[in-house]
Amino acid sequence: MSDNSKSKTGPPIVGVSKNIVRVRELIEHVAQTGLNTVVFGESGVGKEVVAQNLYQKSPRVGKPFIKINCAALPEGLLESELFGYERGAFTGAEQRKKGKFQLAHSGVLLLDEIGDMSLSLQAKLLHVLQSGGEFSPLGSEKEVKADTWVIAATNHDLKKEIKEGKFREDLYYRLNIIKIHLSPLRERPEDIPPLIDFYIKEYTAMLNNRHIETPGAKVIDRMCTYSWPGNVRELQNVLKRMLVLGDCNQIVDEIFNSERMVSRDSGPDDELNHNASLAKIIDLGGRNSPDNQSFSLKTAKKNAVEMVEREIISHVLAKTDWNRSKASKILKISYKTLLYKISDLKIVPPEK
Amino acid sequence: MKKPFRLLIIDDAEEILTALTNFFTQKKYDVVSAANGLDGLKHIESKDADFDLIITDLVLPNISGVAIISIVKKKFPDTPVIAITGWGEHPESLAKEAHADHVLEKPFKLPELEQLVKKLLNR
Ligand SMILES: Nc1ncnc2c1ncn2[C@@H]1O[C@H](COP(=O)(O)OP(=O)(O)OP(=O)(O)O)[C@@H](O)[C@H]1O
Ligand SMILES: [Mg+2]
Repeated sequence: MSDNSKSKTGPPIVGVSKNIVRVRELIEHVAQTGLNTVVFGESGVGKEVVAQNLYQKSPRVGKPFIKINCAALPEGLLESELFGYERGAFTGAEQRKKGKFQLAHSGVLLLDEIGDMSLSLQAKLLHVLQSGGEFSPLGSEKEVKADTWVIAATNHDLKKEIKEGKFREDLYYRLNIIKIHLSPLRERPEDIPPLIDFYIKEYTAMLNNRHIETPGAKVIDRMCTYSWPGNVRELQNVLKRMLVLGDCNQIVDEIFNSERMVSRDSGPDDELNHNASLAKIIDLGGRNSPDNQSFSLKTAKKNAVEMVEREIISHVLAKTDWNRSKASKILKISYKTLLYKISDLKIVPPEK
Repeated sequence: MKKPFRLLIIDDAEEILTALTNFFTQKKYDVVSAANGLDGLKHIESKDADFDLIITDLVLPNISGVAIISIVKKKFPDTPVIAITGWGEHPESLAKEAHADHVLEKPFKLPELEQLVKKLLNR
């Protein structure tokens, strides 16, 4: 799905908590202004929904809504995606390409995971914001001017990153003209029943209103006490599972169990080691067979490491319900490294 | 008697907000106060707003003072705005860019602020 089509029908911001009521009110008051905005909140709390709502209530609605994830791309690629390039700007630049900044002209540019942007790109972004949207694409002499409303989102504590020298203070203040904070779902359990209600209606309509078991009052009560590390996105996944599989009680048991699994400082999972011998894991008979032309200790080792990494990372992601920030903490690698590995090792999320 | 000047004061530091409100109330100003940007903006947007001058802190929850200045200068270009800041150069330069009439650094003396208010009101 393209960024444009999705944005036109962004979902409403459901909830009755003080935090959500305030956020809705804030959106009503600032959507007209087009002032630089940062949306703060954990993964899956609804930062993108907020950005979409800002856009929909702004005079820019109908114009492009472009999203770019600053954590998903290596620095050089992110730069060329943002600002575009001229033909021949670098090897492989066969065609001139417009950057997202320019594509979002007269509309909105959502800079997702802004906390992961490198310092040098932060400097460039600051420059663009200071000049009111002027920049030159890579390999171009000419400046382009884009009238783009910049909304940034982050699950990082940017104040802390400033202290650690990872985020520019001047950029922080320039972006934070409007600041919208979304609390984690566990801090606003009163939003859980209305969210359940909303999504059950939505999903049953999708399932053609077939007769399905929906969670009863007891199950909903229990769901209100769970910690929801993956926030609303995790809640959605659990609800889908319930509607498809039935047996809501069992599913609630499972989420509480996995919560314990993740918080327990778990060692390596035995299943992995028991069922297969090392030779089998490394696939010495197949892909990494010494009989192959391409065999070398180095490539076999690389393949094996990749396999092990893929297995471990998939395992942790499954346990955290694809909460990448939590998974990266468990794996003790940076969030950025994790995203890179997910794409490099071609690990795909389960069907939503 | 002449109608008193109406001031809107926005600051998230309670002591400062109270001190400023008390001070200007004693000096016979009609003072409305707000502890964050959104509440301040609601006052500005309300029908009976007609503030003669606005004093705002720059770093505020939700809607920053810089945003308040931009919004006011667009809607009511003639209403003077004084920004007060304790956060160093960055918010200060943003406030100037947004056309604050004056940026006053904390700490300051109350009579100094009052002089400034008088000067801007008599312009
Ligand atoms: N208050 C809400 N009401 C209805 N739906 C919501 C709400 N908050 C989040 N959602 C839904 O939850 C899902 C995750 O939200 P979203 O993508 O906005 O989160 P995010 O904060 O951007 O997450 P990430 O950090 O992973 O990018 C989306 O499908 C969104 O529609
Ligand atoms: Mg998002």
